[in-house]
Amino acid sequence: MKIGLFIPCYIDAFYPNAGIATLELLEKLGQDVEYPMDQTCCGQPMANSGCNSDAAAAEALFVRNFAKYDAIVMPSGSCTHHVRDNFDAIPQTEDVKHVRKNTYELVEFLHDILKVDAFPWAEFPHKVGLHNSCGTLRALRTASMSELGEPFFSKPMDLLSKVKGITFATPKRPDECCGFGGTFSVTEEAISARMGLDKVRDHHNAGAEYIVSADTSCMMHQQGCAERNGVPIRFIHIAEILNGARA
Amino acid sequence: MSSRDTILATLRANRPDPAAHPLPPVAMLGDMDKGRDRFENSLQILGGQILMPQEGDTLATAIARRFPDAKVICSAVPDFEGTIRIEEIESPQQAAATDVLVVRSPFGIAEMGSIYLSEAQLNNLNSAAHLTQHIVVILSEENLTANMHTAYLERPEFHTANYGVLMSGPSATADIQGVLIRGAQGVRSLSIWWE
Amino acid sequence: MKVKPVNHAKAAEEFLEDAPHLTFHDERLWDMRQKRDQQMHLLPEWQDLRTRASEIKEHTLANLPEYLEQFEANAKKNGIHVHWAADGAEHNRIVGEILEKHGAKSLIKSKSMVTEECDMRAYLEPRGVTVTETDLGERIQQLDDQLPSHIVVPAVHKLVPDVAKIFAKNYHTDPNDNDPQSLAEAQRMAARPVILTADAGMTGGNFLVAETGTFVVCTNEGNADLSSTVPNLHIATLGIERLVPRMADLGVFVRLLSRSALGSPITQYTTHFRGPQKGGEMHIILVDNGRSTRLGMEEFWTSLKCIRCGACMNTCPVYRRSGGLSYGAVYSGPIGAIIDPTFNERKYSTLPFASTMNGSCTNVCPVKINIHEQLYKWRRVLAEHHELPFVKREIMHMAGKLMGQPKLYRTAINGTEVALSTMPRFVLYNWLNPWGKHRELPHPVKQTFHSWYKQNRLKKDKAQ
Repeated sequence: MKIGLFIPCYIDAFYPNAGIATLELLEKLGQDVEYPMDQTCCGQPMANSGCNSDAAAAEALFVRNFAKYDAIVMPSGSCTHHVRDNFDAIPQTEDVKHVRKNTYELVEFLHDILKVDAFPWAEFPHKVGLHNSCGTLRALRTASMSELGEPFFSKPMDLLSKVKGITFATPKRPDECCGFGGTFSVTEEAISARMGLDKVRDHHNAGAEYIVSADTSCMMHQQGCAERNGVPIRFIHIAEILNGARA
Repeated sequence: MSSRDTILATLRANRPDPAAHPLPPVAMLGDMDKGRDRFENSLQILGGQILMPQEGDTLATAIARRFPDAKVICSAVPDFEGTIRIEEIESPQQAAATDVLVVRSPFGIAEMGSIYLSEAQLNNLNSAAHLTQHIVVILSEENLTANMHTAYLERPEFHTANYGVLMSGPSATADIQGVLIRGAQGVRSLSIWWE
Repeated sequence: MKVKPVNHAKAAEEFLEDAPHLTFHDERLWDMRQKRDQQMHLLPEWQDLRTRASEIKEHTLANLPEYLEQFEANAKKNGIHVHWAADGAEHNRIVGEILEKHGAKSLIKSKSMVTEECDMRAYLEPRGVTVTETDLGERIQQLDDQLPSHIVVPAVHKLVPDVAKIFAKNYHTDPNDNDPQSLAEAQRMAARPVILTADAGMTGGNFLVAETGTFVVCTNEGNADLSSTVPNLHIATLGIERLVPRMADLGVFVRLLSRSALGSPITQYTTHFRGPQKGGEMHIILVDNGRSTRLGMEEFWTSLKCIRCGACMNTCPVYRRSGGLSYGAVYSGPIGAIIDPTFNERKYSTLPFASTMNGSCTNVCPVKINIHEQLYKWRRVLAEHHELPFVKREIMHMAGKLMGQPKLYRTAINGTEVALSTMPRFVLYNWLNPWGKHRELPHPVKQTFHSWYKQNRLKKDKAQ
């Protein structure tokens, strides 16, 4: 299986370690991974703003970059959600359909496709609070949703539980949105920042040393809120922990 | 064209394909227990009470003990006297002086602890059930139905009464800073007397 | 006159500045959501109920003209006068005429979102009709001259001292009274004489039953029952989408409604009106006000399934932190954000953006309206209809172009100069600046992933 790696723009620019960890982890698991150098963005920011036609160029480029791979993996739930569920600014050719069908968020790829049962190199002796982005939770359904009363399951927690030394903090409102919301973070900045602050406080009060998430965009926002308000909590992408980061 | 016809015409032009949205069969879901215990538990959740008889109690003595200050006790049932009969009350204004109204409900719903009243039980003075300060409802265990599904399917009253209310405990509000207050605009208390 | 879009962001910012109100509002509504969850966990059939409710509503909407005709025929047979109102103005005129015919000057009413839609009080009051809201929360809002801020709990954004002040002004109670019980009692004592002397009563309604010509009103205070049974004239106003086909269908909806709304199994009062009381007169006004047009909107018609429980508001993290009034509309919260633009696209063009589209609203909706997906679709429609702010539209246009050109994009990422050169600098900054108002910016890094990959993988590959 040939894997194409997509690294979202904000990870590329601000959180390269999450991207590096994703690549190294897939390589450690014996995967054949390539990062197409001409990639930019999946089109989500434009589409989520309603400007769907403006997403067409990004979507077309995405397909040009990734159509040749058996699977496209990305360390981002919201980008995966866009490609899988909303990627319709361009005509739905066979290539587009192939790309949409074979795009995976990292956690679901590890959990459902590779069915990884051990990360022997990983050890993280810290108490972490798991943040599921709304994209992974309610669109990709990588964990059970409190509103539906369904039996508990959590793919990210399944994976993290295989890491030596890790413990989990239980926030009061685990499913509550952190308020990032793409351009919402700018157009509704006051509410967005307040939601972010409430979120990091909830984790901090539950005893979390780290917030871990499969979505860096949420964490970029939460980190900004935590730092501004002096909430002492650190942030780490799930790929980094699974790849063996110790802190 | 009248508004009626315009509205109907627009709906006909705009509606989704009826063939794609068939009517599902009537639902019959959930717990079918119609026992007294379930009714009492549900009633308690909604703030209703059971008027518990003590040794040698009649309904009259139980009411006297429960409502010692009540001056006007209105009876809407033949087998209890009260201080006034509902037939003697001619207007809502007169009904508003009632301290306790005693009625007999034709059925209760175990799921909700609800009791049903219609004009048939209120001698057509429907407001009496809401203007009284307290209400005592005589109910028979035999007349309990399991849940909302069975109630709507089984009870003919829903098809015959002009006014039919399911009362589930007393009037309540939480509109001031979320504080639950029993006895908002209607009855301050609702008590069940089992017969 | 050009209508200005509601500035939700600004109103929300103001709401956030008042810590006691904000904290209470968030926690009270979250508590309602928690209680709703508890009820859901008690019913193993919860999801089946939601599915059934959705199916019944979709079926009814697809057959609405027939069911309305059936309802009308049955209601008339039972002695109810049935009126049809195409819009708010016609609704108000009908109410005015009925009241005038009876010489009614004093109207008591229970909560009805439709009368809010029609702005009925503003129509009747100059015509000499005194309208008194009998629901406690709605009365508080009326006395404070505000719209309801929540469908179910209209004054949920107020604290005890706010109510005490309002009551002191209107009921001459102690302005420092901080006991909710005694304030509620003050309302009861003030309302009783008004109720007992009113010329007419008005209610909204939750359901219409086609099979029997019945309408159903659900309240907790019993005020709808007082409003409808004390005066001999009862006018009920309901939207045409309130229908269910059969009496037995009510079971599904009554079981879901209050559990979703407040987390109580049922409202204290569930009242079925099938005809006038003895000696009384009963009118029903079936209100369209945009609903028949909305039925034709392929992506949005299912919003007509709404049973007005408010569960989407209670769970919405944005609503809980911005308050219902920040939406500047009769319907607030997630359901408001997808309904309001059908009333006025420009005025409410900002509301579908007052959301993170997190999807919690969709999950709690008892009739399974895909609220967050409709928010997403509204954004598209509004962009296509040119209802987006110019700067946002331009930035997206520019970003979209940039994202299609990897070389240009790479230069931009490395320098951010290209982005700035295509737009006046101040425009971009004005738009992006808010990030830093309450948040730190991400830390700069030495190397992008792209450049790391080039250095650590591509060069390695070549070396092999």
